[in-house]
Amino acid sequence: MNNLRIYARAGSAVAFLLGITAVSGLAYGQTPDISGVYWATEYHPKIQLVGGGDLPLTAAGKAAYEKNIAGLKDGSITDTARKFCVPDGLPRVLATPYPFDIIQAPPGQVTIVHELNHQVRVVAMDKPMPSEKELIPFPFYNGHSVGHFEGDTLVVESAGFNEKTFIDATGAPHTDEMRTLERIRKISPTQLEDVITIHDPEYYSRDWQARFVYTLRNDVRLEDYVCGEPHRDLSTVAGVHRP
Amino acid sequence: MIPVSIRAVLIASLSTFAAAERATPAAEAPASRGAIPDFAPDTGTSWALDQTVDDLLPPPSGAGPITFDPAHPYIANFRGAQPTYRVADLSNPILQPWAREQMRKSNAEVLAGKVPFRARERCWPIGVPGFVIYSLIESFYFYQTPEKVTIINPGGPEVRHIYLNVPHSADPRPSWYGESVGRYEGGDTLVIDTIGITDKTFVDNYRTPHTTKLHVVERLKLVEGGKTVLISMTVDDPGAFTMPWSATQRWRRVARGPIAESPCNENNTDHFKHELIPTPTADKPDF
Repeated sequence: MNNLRIYARAGSAVAFLLGITAVSGLAYGQTPDISGVYWATEYHPKIQLVGGGDLPLTAAGKAAYEKNIAGLKDGSITDTARKFCVPDGLPRVLATPYPFDIIQAPPGQVTIVHELNHQVRVVAMDKPMPSEKELIPFPFYNGHSVGHFEGDTLVVESAGFNEKTFIDATGAPHTDEMRTLERIRKISPTQLEDVITIHDPEYYSRDWQARFVYTLRNDVRLEDYVCGEPHRDLSTVAGVHRP
Repeated sequence: MIPVSIRAVLIASLSTFAAAERATPAAEAPASRGAIPDFAPDTGTSWALDQTVDDLLPPPSGAGPITFDPAHPYIANFRGAQPTYRVADLSNPILQPWAREQMRKSNAEVLAGKVPFRARERCWPIGVPGFVIYSLIESFYFYQTPEKVTIINPGGPEVRHIYLNVPHSADPRPSWYGESVGRYEGGDTLVIDTIGITDKTFVDNYRTPHTTKLHVVERLKLVEGGKTVLISMTVDDPGAFTMPWSATQRWRRVARGPIAESPCNENNTDHFKHELIPTPTADKPDF
């Protein structure tokens, strides 16, 4: 990995962080409780942008998307999240039609356990994002995440992604320089909202957002998920079509 | 891409081994938080197999787990000697005839040169009670809430959910990790009672079979000032074993940082054509 690329990434990341800082500074009180099992009620294979419209792809992004679409169709590219059940990556994992469990433990961490592909996300609370030099040797499917509460909202920044995942099930692309910012909060006693901002200037000409809403379902127990087996009934999730 | 990936794996492996030797000082945290054993006092604490062998160990007395055939000693990795594959001791009186016969065939395959199945290597859930010996490398992480204990080994990752202070369902549908209910006892012990385990798993790494009548009670006791989890268990299965039996293991506390991502099923194919059991794969997408 050459140093110029590292500096370019760092510069881009700093600009993104400045954006985050502008919305921080709210009062800190007792840690809000967002824990519990949540389950979406709808699923979209194609990511839905806040405000509607199409993905703001750059020319490079458009070429990568077209390559993914063609490759997924002719089999030269494998959707490994569905074939081998490796992690979906961000933001695709947020579209999961399966329940997931938010655990606010151990102290200093929010742990998100997904039934789908038994993937685990770790949000290190009130810690700085590791440096680019620390992140680059350990790219993760779901990235490395740090978070803090701003009032009732859990703000999660993620970076250090690998390039093996898609933005959504249609094969929308991202680079390993993607950074994401999630604002996760209860919008009612039984509903959780996650608004994610995607920052990936090589493939997207501007930052863009998607919004996901989940229902609190503490009556549901997460099941074991093994690739290729029949899994739980998803008929309560609109938009799921099983082949 | 490939050299970088390989380098990352090597770095990760080396740092794992380095970390494995760095036991946590006893004074760092108390053994328990309030009236319950605290298996996760901080984000970096996890628990590694105290023995360098992923076997269930015999109890102090009475009927015990399957061990290796003395004629074919099992030598695990990292012992400084040529490792071997497991050949089970079929003289153990716990086995019902059909289970012994199934294991005799499996032993014969190993002695004929076949690489035997081990859940951790082929990315399959190991089930219960095997979970406590799932991995020699990756350590176990606890996530404790008042209603639930989640235990995760990042090697699969494999996830167990234990529901506290509730009864079992009347007739749970068999699943890979079964239905686990639990309770704390004596301020230092988590007791886990598990039923409803699919017969697709083995009890251990000796390929000991069981039926869906399997019933496992595990006791995870925090001892030695919070440095060790002493595991004892009773295993009963009137469909596979002639009698209930017991086993032990120990986990030692290690400080390896928060749980990290290392999906088992990444590029895990049969590179050397050993006719391995395929890893879990979906012929068509789930949704």
